[in-house]
Amino acid sequence: MTHIDFIGNFKKYCILSIVLVAVILAATIFVGPQLAIEFKGGSIITYTYDGEMDIGAFQSRVQELTAQEAAFQQSKDLASGIETIVVSLPGSRSLNADQMISLSEGLAESFPENNPRTVSINNVDPTIGAEFLAKSLVAVAVASLLIIIFVAFRFRKIGGVSAGVMAVIALLHDVIIVYGVFIIFRISIDANFIAVVLTILGYSVNDTIVIYDRVRENRRLMGTRAPLADLVNTSINQSFRRSLNTSITTVLAMVVVTIVAMMYNVTSIISFSFPMILGLISGAYSSICIAGPLWVKWRQHKMNAQAA
Amino acid sequence: MKRVGKPVFFIVLLLIAAISTLSITGFHTWYGDMKTTHIKGADDIRWGIDIRGGVDVTFSPPAGYNATKEEMASAESIIKVRMVSQNITDYEVYTDFDKNRIIVRFPWKEGETEYNPEKAIQELGETAWLTFREGQTPDISDPGNIILEGKNVVSAYVGADTSTGTSEPVVVLEFDTEGKAAFSEATSRLVGGYISIWMDENFISAPYVKQAITSGDGIIQGSFTVATAKDLADKINAGALPFRLETDNYNSISPTLGQGAKEAMVMAGIIAFAVIAVFMILLYRLPGAVAMIGLTGQLALVIASISGFFAAFPSFTLTLPGIAGIILSIGVGVDANIITAERIKEELKTGKTLDGAVNAGCKRAFTAILDGNITVIIVAIILMGAFGPPGSFFAKLLTPFFFMFGPSTAGNIYSFGYTLLMGVLFNFVMSIFASRMMLKSISRYAPFRKPWLYGGEKV
Repeated sequence: MTHIDFIGNFKKYCILSIVLVAVILAATIFVGPQLAIEFKGGSIITYTYDGEMDIGAFQSRVQELTAQEAAFQQSKDLASGIETIVVSLPGSRSLNADQMISLSEGLAESFPENNPRTVSINNVDPTIGAEFLAKSLVAVAVASLLIIIFVAFRFRKIGGVSAGVMAVIALLHDVIIVYGVFIIFRISIDANFIAVVLTILGYSVNDTIVIYDRVRENRRLMGTRAPLADLVNTSINQSFRRSLNTSITTVLAMVVVTIVAMMYNVTSIISFSFPMILGLISGAYSSICIAGPLWVKWRQHKMNAQAA
Repeated sequence: MKRVGKPVFFIVLLLIAAISTLSITGFHTWYGDMKTTHIKGADDIRWGIDIRGGVDVTFSPPAGYNATKEEMASAESIIKVRMVSQNITDYEVYTDFDKNRIIVRFPWKEGETEYNPEKAIQELGETAWLTFREGQTPDISDPGNIILEGKNVVSAYVGADTSTGTSEPVVVLEFDTEGKAAFSEATSRLVGGYISIWMDENFISAPYVKQAITSGDGIIQGSFTVATAKDLADKINAGALPFRLETDNYNSISPTLGQGAKEAMVMAGIIAFAVIAVFMILLYRLPGAVAMIGLTGQLALVIASISGFFAAFPSFTLTLPGIAGIILSIGVGVDANIITAERIKEELKTGKTLDGAVNAGCKRAFTAILDGNITVIIVAIILMGAFGPPGSFFAKLLTPFFFMFGPSTAGNIYSFGYTLLMGVLFNFVMSIFASRMMLKSISRYAPFRKPWLYGGEKV
């Protein structure tokens, strides 16, 4: 059985994670996150049409009717085979129902041969969007807090609170990585982002807990005399195959989902499953290489402080 | 040590097979053409509007209007009546009294071919205030000329006017006592004059008053077709809103778009399940195969919890993130089985007998699975509380954390929390009880006693 010195290699993991977080921070500052209209408010309307559409004329008519500079994107929904034009209004303005009616009626009049119809409307009031974002962030914070309390209670024999805090640090690491995936791959931050973050939250902490569980068990088997570094290192190594196999299986399942979604061009699923793959990998990595070793360093630091 | 009986494997296997089949097909009985559903199958799953198409809209009173709690409540009930009169029964309506918002979600009607979300939203938000006013062209901003209004109508229905020789559809109104008195008074006073009928600010007709009408019934003529007459009668019956509902916040999706996503997601799920099965059996052989039987059962139970397995229990709306929640719970289930299988392997390596290794492996893996699953459950409950409908159990439980937020429009995330919660709970049933009993029972049959089958050395 392979034996890796996770505690000894901690510095390397630390540098890797710090570099990653720094890159994401830089990307946030220089590129900036792309908030979806679900959070910032705004209007995106998808039209479908028959025959050949004069896109240029369509664009100028929309801008005339809304009196705004809109962005246009043409695409084909592979699953249903319909051709669509996606119209995004700038900024965070949204249209009320009457404005929306005059827009679609105006388009229907101007392009009678193409019979333009709305396929989907996404129209979000900025205040409701901001509230949704705030609520999501509170949900993440509350979940983290409850997880710390739960871990502190269940692992009280091995110093629960610090173990809980380290689990949450590993977890925040994964949340930052997931956020970074959204920034770097220019995926707009929408409800899927919250779903991925919360999934990774559960997954990462589950991963960490399985390792803690082994530490708890080995503490009983090896006695309180065993050095902490050895104890944790043995525990991580013992559960390493399980961590690896579970990650491979779940990542594989998500890869399948991503490939199928790409074949059908279902963007709402791709923007969920792709960040999820990287989040799952990060979750496994942080549980093995960050949570346990960091916890050892922290306990050693505290013991040294007490001895001095 | 408690021993598991030999036949247990087959009993559990049969049970899982039965649940899986039933959760897909359901159980119906036929009495002539009347179909009675006793157990709901996969076909009875109620898909969210992101899959089957529909409208999601947040209404609020006009800016500056200070609506009372009673007005909001009556607006909510009027919207519900309007839904039902349009034959939409599986709508959701929530009212946020703190922020004066009404959230309405409804799918497109079965067999509907005209998808006009703009019109549907506008009609729902209409005040639908029916007024009878003095004169042919009264000033509609002056309430002084109102003879009677929609609330004086007990019922409205479509009738036929045969007085002109042809049969023309009309709307017949039955007034309440107050309405009868007002109508009789006005028609006797205005003989030779006109009474005009208005829906909000729209003119419908202005009949000439030939004689006093004391019978208590009114008729609205207005070159209707049967359909438009029924429409108007429905609107009058549903009642008027205390104010016009406006919206800047709505989403709509046509059924064709979501359908494709659903098919892709279901296909992805089947392939992913097959890939996991191959992987698990290659890695863990017999425990891997048993794990897949348990996971099939877990999946079937989750489907049952969504379709509302027993007809008496309500079904649950399944959205795209909901499907993602099922996939994640399968991942958690796989993990539970991997932990157990790895533990059995380890115990075999320390030289334990097969029975000893299986028992010790199952026992040692328990706390890890328990603690891991409970944390996932914590996340699922937070999601359900934060994004669920107000008044639901979890939403009330989490009020201390989310009191400053109104009910969110994120019904999709709620579905994710629900399928995740159900998936993890059923994972307990399957991974901790069913799979283990099956493994312990099958390991008593001679052909299945080779340690190699459990990841040990080949003897």
